[in-house]
Amino acid sequence: METIQPDILTISAAILLIATFGVVARRGFLDWLNAYRLQSVVLAGVTGIVGYVTGIWEIYIAAALTLVIKSVIIPKVLTYVTRRLEIEFKMETNPYVSLRTAVIISAFLVALSYFLIQQIPLKSDPVASTYLPVSVALFLIGLFVIVSRRAALSQVVGLLIIENGLFLFTLVLTHGVSLLIEMGIFADILVGIVISSILLFRISQTFDSLDIGKLENLRDD
Amino acid sequence: MSGYVEIAIGVIQALVIVALAPLITGMMRKTKAKTQKRTGFGIFQPYCDIIKLLHKDEVVSDQSSWIFRFSPWVNFVAIGAAAFFIPVFLSNSPFGLVGDLLLVIGLFGLARFFTMLSGLDVASTFGGLGSGREMMISALLEPALFLSIFLVALTYGGTNLSTLVGAASDSPLLPHPQLIFAAIAMFIIILGETGRLPFDNPATHLELTMVHEAMILEYSGKSLALMEWSQSIKQMILFALIVNIFIPWGISSSISVSELGIGFLAFVAKISMFAIFVAWFETSVAKWRLFRIPDLIAIAIASLMIGIVFYFL
Repeated sequence: METIQPDILTISAAILLIATFGVVARRGFLDWLNAYRLQSVVLAGVTGIVGYVTGIWEIYIAAALTLVIKSVIIPKVLTYVTRRLEIEFKMETNPYVSLRTAVIISAFLVALSYFLIQQIPLKSDPVASTYLPVSVALFLIGLFVIVSRRAALSQVVGLLIIENGLFLFTLVLTHGVSLLIEMGIFADILVGIVISSILLFRISQTFDSLDIGKLENLRDD
Repeated sequence: MSGYVEIAIGVIQALVIVALAPLITGMMRKTKAKTQKRTGFGIFQPYCDIIKLLHKDEVVSDQSSWIFRFSPWVNFVAIGAAAFFIPVFLSNSPFGLVGDLLLVIGLFGLARFFTMLSGLDVASTFGGLGSGREMMISALLEPALFLSIFLVALTYGGTNLSTLVGAASDSPLLPHPQLIFAAIAMFIIILGETGRLPFDNPATHLELTMVHEAMILEYSGKSLALMEWSQSIKQMILFALIVNIFIPWGISSSISVSELGIGFLAFVAKISMFAIFVAWFETSVAKWRLFRIPDLIAIAIASLMIGIVFYFL
């Protein structure tokens, strides 16, 4: 195991959290995509750091795949599929929880995840003790983004954040599952995003709205 | 002997802040004009404005009370006194024995209180609107500001400005990740405190959205000059604080001519860069609706909360 400056670990964890808050604090779909892109770039960097610390070369490939798929391909696919959506479907104008409350609640979720991880004895592994709380925080914030918003596109973005959190979680706990599984997960995410965006486009055509509150109503025709 | 030299340097630091403040305002206006493809006035225009206003007669409404005539002086004296506690190019300010960061914030609060009162005092509709908005914004900004001060004070051990800046100049930014969050929050707070764009547009006159300009709308002549000058000084103080706490490179810690010179040049360079950055940032955002301003402050508070989590890790 190589040793690494603990500050670099903490600062990259901090930047990961800041990028996540870019999704919570903004209202437009393109802003979320930019925040997600930044988050994925930092995540790729974190993956590279974990690869350096553990010395397993497969993790570098996972880092490169993260960089290519999550920070380039997925945002491009999402912008391409949603290019013909009305602009008001791409804005979160009337969320269930207002933005300022959401930001404060997300900060509490970060504190909660740090509190939870401190209960787990981690045998003083600096990588795990730095990134594990962040991964749990990413998971919780993604879940919160999904349940607190009306615009269906933010559900997709919340799902992407959750996936990033899970990726980080498995990475730091297991020091990289086998590359085959990683690639399977990446392909899964890519296909899932494409299918869900096409589904959203159809929903917007049929219902003339992307407000998920309206999808719960019964229709009789 | 060295005591006298320190006091002299402390006085010089305060005078530097007071004297250079309009220049920073002018630079920011020039940068804004350039980024909007206008030519703009020269960077010394605020000095000319102040000199012009000092030679003009004053018109005071006969409905106003002593508060209206009093508050420019309270403003100038309170903010000018706050300038004495700010380390500019020497990290230990000799007046640090008398007051710390909390006193500086208190003096700002006093100045702001009298500005709001004078806005209400003349009983013009704009003044009342401006004061109401200013009260709302300042009531929300204050907790965020104190939280950020506490985070910085926890990191560097004390609210005394000399201790703070001294500790900051001794340690690089890297070992304190919580300061990234503090810097983000402080930046938002400073935009609000100095009335910059997402909060208030400093370039507007006679618009319904103005905040600070609405309060000082009734002022003319010398009082207006004092009001504008003290606003520039306040901006300069806040910029100097953020620059010296978060990017403390180059500040001198001992009294020698070469180090003080380097410290002064570094300070001027840093604060000009920061002012230009703020002005550039201002052209890239639109003014936010008044009732969305709490969102921005919530972002600052959330960022500080995460910073505190990182501190107690």
